[in-house]
Amino acid sequence: MTAQPHWPAVMPAAPLHGGTRWPGAGRVFFLFGGLFTVAMLLMGALVFVVATRAVAQRIDDDLIHHEGKFLRDAAGRPASSAAVAARIRDWQARKITSERTYSLFGPDGRQIAGRLNLRPRVGLSDVLFLGGGRTWQRGRALADRLPDGSLFVIVQHSEAEAGLRAMLPGLVLASFVTALAAGLGATWFFAHLTAQRLAGTGDTADAIAAGGDLARRVAMDGLDGMFARQAESLNRMLDRMESLVETQRHFASALAHDLRTPLTRLRASLTASPAMSLAGDEARLRDVIDTAMRECNGIIAIFDALLRLAEIEGGRHGCAMADLALDALVEDVAETMEPVIADAGGTLVTGPIEPAIICGDPGLITQLLVNLLQNVATHTPAGTCARLSLHRHNDTVVLVLRDDGPGLAQGDGRRVLRPFERGRSAADRGGSGLGLSIAQAIVQFHRGRIELGHGPGPDGRGLEVRVALPVSRTA
Amino acid sequence: MHCLLIEDDPVISGHIVNGLKAAGIATTCAATVAQGLAQGLAKGREGAFDSVVLDRLLPDGNGIDLLRSWRRHGPVPPVLMLSALGSVKDRIEGLEAGADDYLAKPFHMAELIARVQAIARRTGPRDEAEPAVHSVGRLRLDPSRHAACFGDGSVDLNRKLYSLLAHLMLHADRLVTRDMLLEQVWGYSFSPGTNIVESNMSRLRARLQELRIDPILTRRGEGYVLLAGACR
Repeated sequence: MTAQPHWPAVMPAAPLHGGTRWPGAGRVFFLFGGLFTVAMLLMGALVFVVATRAVAQRIDDDLIHHEGKFLRDAAGRPASSAAVAARIRDWQARKITSERTYSLFGPDGRQIAGRLNLRPRVGLSDVLFLGGGRTWQRGRALADRLPDGSLFVIVQHSEAEAGLRAMLPGLVLASFVTALAAGLGATWFFAHLTAQRLAGTGDTADAIAAGGDLARRVAMDGLDGMFARQAESLNRMLDRMESLVETQRHFASALAHDLRTPLTRLRASLTASPAMSLAGDEARLRDVIDTAMRECNGIIAIFDALLRLAEIEGGRHGCAMADLALDALVEDVAETMEPVIADAGGTLVTGPIEPAIICGDPGLITQLLVNLLQNVATHTPAGTCARLSLHRHNDTVVLVLRDDGPGLAQGDGRRVLRPFERGRSAADRGGSGLGLSIAQAIVQFHRGRIELGHGPGPDGRGLEVRVALPVSRTA
Repeated sequence: MHCLLIEDDPVISGHIVNGLKAAGIATTCAATVAQGLAQGLAKGREGAFDSVVLDRLLPDGNGIDLLRSWRRHGPVPPVLMLSALGSVKDRIEGLEAGADDYLAKPFHMAELIARVQAIARRTGPRDEAEPAVHSVGRLRLDPSRHAACFGDGSVDLNRKLYSLLAHLMLHADRLVTRDMLLEQVWGYSFSPGTNIVESNMSRLRARLQELRIDPILTRRGEGYVLLAGACR
């Protein structure tokens, strides 16, 4: 079989496209266009209403002004009916055409002056009259009673308003079409600009989906404002993903290495055994079986620890959180682990242990303490003395495990918390390499912090592990 | 003693049958839920089985459902559930479903035998507290002083060593494995991957040797036995 480039079985559903291809406007842009059109229409209507009202006000002002001119004499006193009639006649003689008409009706209703026989109610009102005796016209009238009971009427035929009303249908249609065109145009333009700015992001995401190349980043040139911020966020996410994948890769290769070592030893001891006489050398055979069992147990222990780590990190460890006395738990675990450390040639002392209640899972906190103390037994030389103490600072309880062993190299404090990472000295080869990772997962599950630093002495010898956990709120 | 084994993997099944036979326990085998339930209901009524070893995942269903159906039809002998699912949550599920003990694969044969014997010995309901044993031969526990007494002499023990000795005395002359001690004396649901049992056991032996007795026998790779004969 010839080597074929291997592609993922499922390709991305959308074809890869270039940066300029129009991706479609989408609902948001239609919404935007619709809103724009409605806004334009509303604005047109507003202008129309304001203009009509201004014209009407102007007509009313005109009527009142002209009424004053007819009903008052030069000194401002009310004019008599005869004077008003004379003025009307005079005005008729002078004016050939006008949009205004004046009439005066006597107290008995008889028309004294003027041509238009129209008697509206006193005050301002809209009227309908026969203009020139032929066509019905719309007008605005102002009527007023004179002191002697005569009725003075001014009618103004509002040409401007009539013209404005005539223009209305055309205006509405024109403004609607303009608004629609402008709205759609703006929508298209806006959508196009947005698509252009998002194209880089889409291309990067598609390329990562197709090739899995997490080193790619969204190009930032030409982007500003929210597009730049979005691209930055995506790039930060990619940074994080790349680091997570890197961690995962490292984890897998470290796991493979850690399993390979006991498996190699297991195979070596098993391949060596057929060479010896199985019947004759029973002691050696038992030795081989013991060695093989030890290696098997080591492998099983790694898997147990891995499962436990996954269980804790996934929050699936199955126990309930409860208020528990950390001081009592610390004393209890110290009592259990003291013989283990003593058998390894070290010493464990406790104190001071201040009382503290935390909200936690007793099984997990016990494992945390066992793991930390086990590190003293496994990774420090004989003669090491460790002290376990518990202090309370306000809302935090701090567990300190300090030993006078060789400690960690500079900068290893964070590294050894990662799975399968160990200290650099020869004494650090033992153990599953997961103890501190599990400890860290437990501490993080309880919203605490774990820090590894050097000892307090003048030469900085030894290791100090500090675990800070929040004190229970209900306690 | 007669044990009903419900396990579908023929290699594991054969291994368990041989192991139980060597320990003097007769075995009836079933490989599916249906067979297991049929065997259990047919012979279980006559009280033919002292214990059941039940795999959690079977080809035609799971052990937890089998237990529930069996329980609906009548009393079930003590059950040890076997499973490749070894998390604490899985264990709790198994125990809540009515298993008396839970053992994760892979396991030591000695561990399985010790646990089968332990559950078969239990009489009465599972929840009942095990009675405290205060003496084996001339070896006595003094709860008021947390002390072990032998003849005229006595030694004070810390809480853990005291509970450890009490547990061994309760199961005198019977094998108790390291994992059983971790679960039952320490209450640990995780494998500590350290010599907790070994170190505490040697500390306990040293304390008892001060009384001039050494009744705890270490069975290499299997566990510990407190010999009643050594306490006379």
